[in-house]
Amino acid sequence: MITVAIGKGRMQESALALLARAGIRLNDGVNSRRLALMDETQQYRFIFVKPADVPVYVEHGIADCGIVGRDVLLESEADLLLPLDLGISRCRVVVAAADPQAMTNVQGMIRVATKYAQIARAHFGARGIPVEIIQLSGSVELAPALGLADMIVDLVETGVTLRENGLTVVEEIAESTGRLVVNRASYQLKSDEVGRLVKVLEAVIG
Amino acid sequence: MRYYIGAEARLRRTVEDVAMSVFQAWNYEEVITPSVDYYDLFEQGMGQREAQRGFRFTDNDGRLLALRPDVTSSVARMAATLLSERPRPLRFCYAAPVFRQQTQSHAEWRRENTQLGCELIGTGGKPADLEVLRLAAEILSRLNLQSHYCITINNVEIFNGVAAHLELEDRAREQLRRLIDTRETAELQRFLKDYPDAQAFSQPSQLTGKRNVIQAARNSITNTRSLAALDSLEDLWAEIESLGFENSFEIDLGDVSSLDYYTGLSLKIFVHGAGASVGRGGRYDGLTGSFGRAEPAVGFVLNLDALTEVLARNIGQER
Repeated sequence: MITVAIGKGRMQESALALLARAGIRLNDGVNSRRLALMDETQQYRFIFVKPADVPVYVEHGIADCGIVGRDVLLESEADLLLPLDLGISRCRVVVAAADPQAMTNVQGMIRVATKYAQIARAHFGARGIPVEIIQLSGSVELAPALGLADMIVDLVETGVTLRENGLTVVEEIAESTGRLVVNRASYQLKSDEVGRLVKVLEAVIG
Repeated sequence: MRYYIGAEARLRRTVEDVAMSVFQAWNYEEVITPSVDYYDLFEQGMGQREAQRGFRFTDNDGRLLALRPDVTSSVARMAATLLSERPRPLRFCYAAPVFRQQTQSHAEWRRENTQLGCELIGTGGKPADLEVLRLAAEILSRLNLQSHYCITINNVEIFNGVAAHLELEDRAREQLRRLIDTRETAELQRFLKDYPDAQAFSQPSQLTGKRNVIQAARNSITNTRSLAALDSLEDLWAEIESLGFENSFEIDLGDVSSLDYYTGLSLKIFVHGAGASVGRGGRYDGLTGSFGRAEPAVGFVLNLDALTEVLARNIGQER
């Protein structure tokens, strides 16, 4: 048996749909409040945790595998194997601002509000643009309107939320999709089980 | 930062004693190296990138010192200078704490780790490689981890040969290395689609396994450097099979994590219950040369703290 950590929320539904297509079905309702769920064949145990915690559980080997967005992986420094791009929950990490010319128009230090402090720091740092990073944990798109920041670095799926808040995409930093991640020790020590999961998922993502 | 108290400290001491007694039974002499030394030593020994993870500070005269981030650098220098006249081979072992700054990454938060290690200097080839592999296996089975561990072996010259053959620039070579290291299948296939010669690396699932891995690699690799490395890896594997160790060993051509350091065999040690590898090693024929006396050398280290943690948990579960 191997343990698979799945990020709650956005990713969860598409991950479970993909697993079902690969013939891996959960025993219990997804809405169950139980901490861990087994699949019908008892080969896999699923745990549902906050997306940012998926790399943590997998790196420690508490979970052997995980399904998590690339945005979360870019933000974490976890040392993991990334065998499959599952192609689910496709979205982009972008820089957005009210003024499309913000990058050149802002005077002095640019203030950037984001949930992705590492990604933002790396993105601006690589080009030598000095920025002040303001770490938020949600509703980042409100920050420019309220005067907290000049721009935001955030995840965009359709762009509707950005438009509703009067923001436009200034730059795209990275594309993000759901990834299968694997613990380095599990990859060697449970190679048969991990290999089987990789194989069945690979078959359905085509 | 970690305290060991009472039973845990005793267990840790036992693990250390088991390893040191195995080393000594194989004629490895204990060596105690300085905890603080000039930073230059470690940069020469480990390469800049790794040495920079050491804690550095200045002496009264302004020279840069470091808390030792590894023991191998000191042993290699000692062999090349103090002991340059001593007959070869030299066999040394140690149990010593090393100090490294850690990334924010979560599983590796320890700044201080005690390494149980050995170095076999002045003799190369298969017998020396096999000797250290047998040592590692013997220590692990003496710790009752028989059938709970896996040692992966690779020869870094397989990757190096392919990268040289493709004439990759440094950046592309590093990108390829990283993609193999993290087994990013889709990106690897995109990267390698123009390089029929490197197809061996495009299917990460075929990089790990037993003897069949080498056969699969031979199907696409044509350059002589990689083929020679595959031959020597296969020879080593045959010895492992003849010792009956093949269930505890695995070939992993995807272990390309420290190419700049190792020159042939590289190995990693995994134990059930530990989320990261508990040991690593390999051949580093280039190291003693940087201290003025080039000669073959091979060795490995086990992480005493990680082993103690696994064993403490196993004992807890048996109760």
